[in-house]
Amino acid sequence: MSEETKTIESEIEEIKQPKEWQPAILGILCNWCSYAGADLAGSARLHYPESIRIVRVPCSGRVDPMFVLKGFQKGFDAVMVLGCHPGDCHYAKGNYYARRRIAMLQDLLETLGVPRERFHFEWVSASEGNRFAELMTEMTERIKKIGPFDGVTP
Amino acid sequence: MSKVISQDKISDFLNSLMAKYTVVAPMPRHDAPAEFRELKSGDQPIIDGSSPMMPPKDFFLPRYEVLVNVQMGKDGVKLDSPIPEAKPRVLLGAWLPDLQGIQVLDRVFLDKKFTDPYYAARRENTILVAVMPAKLRWSWFCSATDDVEGWKNSVDAIMYDLGDKFYIEPTSDKGNVITEGSFLTDASDADSAAKDAIWDNFKTATKLPMSDERLYEKLAWENPIWGEIAEKCIACGICSYSCPSCSCFDIQDETCGSCVERYRCRDTCQFEEFTLMGHGYNPRDNQLPRVRQRLLHKFKYQHEQFGVVGCTGCGRCVELCPVNVDIRDVLMRTCSVENQETPAES
Amino acid sequence: MSDIETKIREEAKRALESGDVSLVIGWGAGSVPFKTTPIFIDKPEDAEKLVWNPACVNNLAVYLPKMASDKKIGIVAKPCDIRSIIALIQEKQVKRENLHIIGLGCGGVVDAGDLDNADFHLQDVTGLEWVADGLNVITTSGDHVIECGACLRDMCIICEKREPAIFDAKFGEAVEPQEGEVCALPELPDDRRKFWSEQFSKCIRCYACRQICPNCYCESCFADRIEPKWTAKKATPEESWMFHATRAMHLAGRCIGCGECERVCPVNIPIMQLEIEMAKIAKERYGYEPGDPDEEAPLLGQFKDADHDPGHHGG
Repeated sequence: MSEETKTIESEIEEIKQPKEWQPAILGILCNWCSYAGADLAGSARLHYPESIRIVRVPCSGRVDPMFVLKGFQKGFDAVMVLGCHPGDCHYAKGNYYARRRIAMLQDLLETLGVPRERFHFEWVSASEGNRFAELMTEMTERIKKIGPFDGVTP
Repeated sequence: MSKVISQDKISDFLNSLMAKYTVVAPMPRHDAPAEFRELKSGDQPIIDGSSPMMPPKDFFLPRYEVLVNVQMGKDGVKLDSPIPEAKPRVLLGAWLPDLQGIQVLDRVFLDKKFTDPYYAARRENTILVAVMPAKLRWSWFCSATDDVEGWKNSVDAIMYDLGDKFYIEPTSDKGNVITEGSFLTDASDADSAAKDAIWDNFKTATKLPMSDERLYEKLAWENPIWGEIAEKCIACGICSYSCPSCSCFDIQDETCGSCVERYRCRDTCQFEEFTLMGHGYNPRDNQLPRVRQRLLHKFKYQHEQFGVVGCTGCGRCVELCPVNVDIRDVLMRTCSVENQETPAES
Repeated sequence: MSDIETKIREEAKRALESGDVSLVIGWGAGSVPFKTTPIFIDKPEDAEKLVWNPACVNNLAVYLPKMASDKKIGIVAKPCDIRSIIALIQEKQVKRENLHIIGLGCGGVVDAGDLDNADFHLQDVTGLEWVADGLNVITTSGDHVIECGACLRDMCIICEKREPAIFDAKFGEAVEPQEGEVCALPELPDDRRKFWSEQFSKCIRCYACRQICPNCYCESCFADRIEPKWTAKKATPEESWMFHATRAMHLAGRCIGCGECERVCPVNIPIMQLEIEMAKIAKERYGYEPGDPDEEAPLLGQFKDADHDPGHHGG
C-alpha cells in the first residue's frame, strides 16, 4: 500500500549498500544526446555498472553549477556532466555556454580541493551508446580505485 | 571572600576548575579573532579582557541546534528531543556586558510561562565569571545604556585585571566556589583600591555625552534617523549575530534520507526573509522598519517587557558594522535635546 | 590629500548646483577618526561633508542598482569601485548615462580593524593621512608611521589597477604598487579541503560578504530560497561550503577584486582566495578581466568557437 518515497539520500545509501563498495555517481545528461546515448546503450543491452544516477536536463547549458556542487555536498563520490558535441547543440549554442561554465567550475572545485578526477565532463552524442557504456565502466573503475569521497568539508 | 591570584598561578587555577567543571574561555586562533571554546587540558586561554568578537551566547543558544529528530524505520517512527545534559560549567573571561547580555537571554528563554528546556539545561549549572580589563575598548558604552552597578548581580564573580594579578570578587554563592584553592591569597587594601579604580573608570569612561534621560523614554517611532541608517545599511546580520543579547532564531525542518531534523538556528530582523510571510506579504518591506525594529526592540520594547535594556554597550556592532552605523551616534542624537522629535501616534 | 578632498567637494557641489545630478554618493566622516561612512548628499551645501582619506574603504557601487535606477546620480569612486560600476553597466544593472563618476587615483586604503596596534590605543587616534613612507596615524600621544605593507588591505597590496578606467572627473594620482603577496592555498586536494573546511566552520552566515558586494545584487539570493533549498540556514561547515562555493561560482569572471567581502567578514574567512584563483584562470585562459570597459558581457555570458574545451573526447 505504502510506496516508499525515494530521496537523493536514500538513493545514495542504496548504492553504497552492496558488499563490494560501489561508488555513487551523479550523471547530469543532456536530453538530446547523452541521455539518448544512455538509452541506446540500454536498448542495445550493453552492460555497465549501476553506480550512476541520472538527472536528465534539456541541454548541457541548463546545468547550473549548483547541481554539481550540491551533488558533492550531498555525498556523491563523483559527478559527471555529459552534453552534445560542440556544433551539435539542439539549441544552437547552449553547449558553448556550458563549455566555459564547466571549465570554470572545474577550476573552482580544484581550488576547493575536490580532486579533479571526481568531476568529469564529456561530449557524448545520441549515437554513442557504446561510448556511454564504456565511460560508465571507466568512471566507476576510476572512482573505485581512488575510493569513497570523504565529503566537501572532511 | 575576595581573593587575588597572580598571573603565574592562572594555569593552576584553571586546572583546579577543570577538575570539577567544564571551563569555557576565549582561545586564540591563528588566523581569526579569538573564540570562546571548551578548554582542553594544557590550553592557554586569553583572559586579559580582550574578549572574542563573537559573544559567548553560543554556549547557551548555539548557532545550530537540533530540537527534534524523527527517524523512520522498519518499526515505525521514532521521535527524539535531544535536550542537552546540564553539565557544571564555568564561563570565564567574558566581558561584563557580554554576561549582562545573558540576563536578557534569560528573560526570553526562562520565561515563567514557558521555559525553553534546551536553553535552561545549558544555563542552569553554568557559573558566570566576568573579566574587567584594565584597558577598556574604545567602543564600549555600557554606562550609557544602564546603571552598571546592578550588573554585578548578573554574574557570579568578577576578575579585575590588575596587571600582574587578578582580583577575584565573588558576587554570588555560586561564585564563591571559584575562590577556593591555595594559590589564591587574600586581597590587600591596595588590591582592593586598584580594583575600585578599574570599576570607577569603567563606570565613567563608558558613559556617552548625552542627557541623563533614559533611552527608552526618548526613542521614538517617528525619527528621521531611521531613514538615515536604512539608506546606508546593507542588511547583513553582523550586528545581530555579534550581539551578546540578540536572541532571534529560526526553526527549520530538513529531511536527511529516512530522517527529519527540526533545528533552530540564528536569524535576524535585518533580513528581508525574517518577516516574509508564506503568502508573499512582508510587513517590514524595506530596511527602515527593520533598522527601527532592532533598536526599538533593544532600548524600548525589551525594557517595557522585561525591565532590562536589551543593549549592554559591548560595542561589537560599533566595531564590526561594514558601513559604520554607530549605535552610539543614534543614542546621542536621540537624547540630545535639540534633536528631539515629537513622538507621533503609531 | 586634502586638496583632492577639496576638489571632490567642489565637483560634487557643482554637479548638484547645476542640476546635473540629484544625489552624490561619497564617503563622509565616520563616527570615529579611523573610519568613514557612506553618505548621500542631495544639497550643494552638504558637499562639504565629503571626505577622502586612507579609511575610505567602502565600495559605494553597492548602492547603485537601487539608487541610480531612475535618476542621474554622482558617485565618488576608487579605481576598484569603478570596475564594479563597469561590471554593473555590462550586466545592465545601471545605465552609464545615469552616472556622474568622480574617479580617484588610488594607492590603497586601510581597514580600521587592522590598526589595533600595541603602539597606540584606537581611542587616542585623531586622524589618518598618507605620508611618503606609509600611513601616518595621528594620535593624542604623537604620530605613528606604519609602512603600507603592514596596514593596507590585502587586495590593495596586490592591486595593479590604480587608475580609474572610466570617469567624468578625475582627481589624484595613482601610487605605484608595492611588492606583496597574499597567503597561498595548500597544494594537495585533501589539504585544501581541510583548509576550507576549517575556514567555513568559522562562518556565522551573517551574509555580510554577500550584502557588501556590489556584484551580488540578486533580488532573491539562492541562499535565501526555500524551494528549492540550495543550502540550509544552519551554520554547519558543509552548508557554509555550499554557500561560499556557489557564491564564488556566481562571481567567477565577474568579481572585480575590491576585497570588500574579506574586509567585512567578522571571522576572517579568506573569501578572496577563491576569487583570486578564478580571476587568474579567466585571464590566462580567456584573456578576460572583469571590470574591463571594452568587454560587453561578463565572462560566462559569452563564448568563442575556439574556447578551451574541458570535455574529454572519447571514441
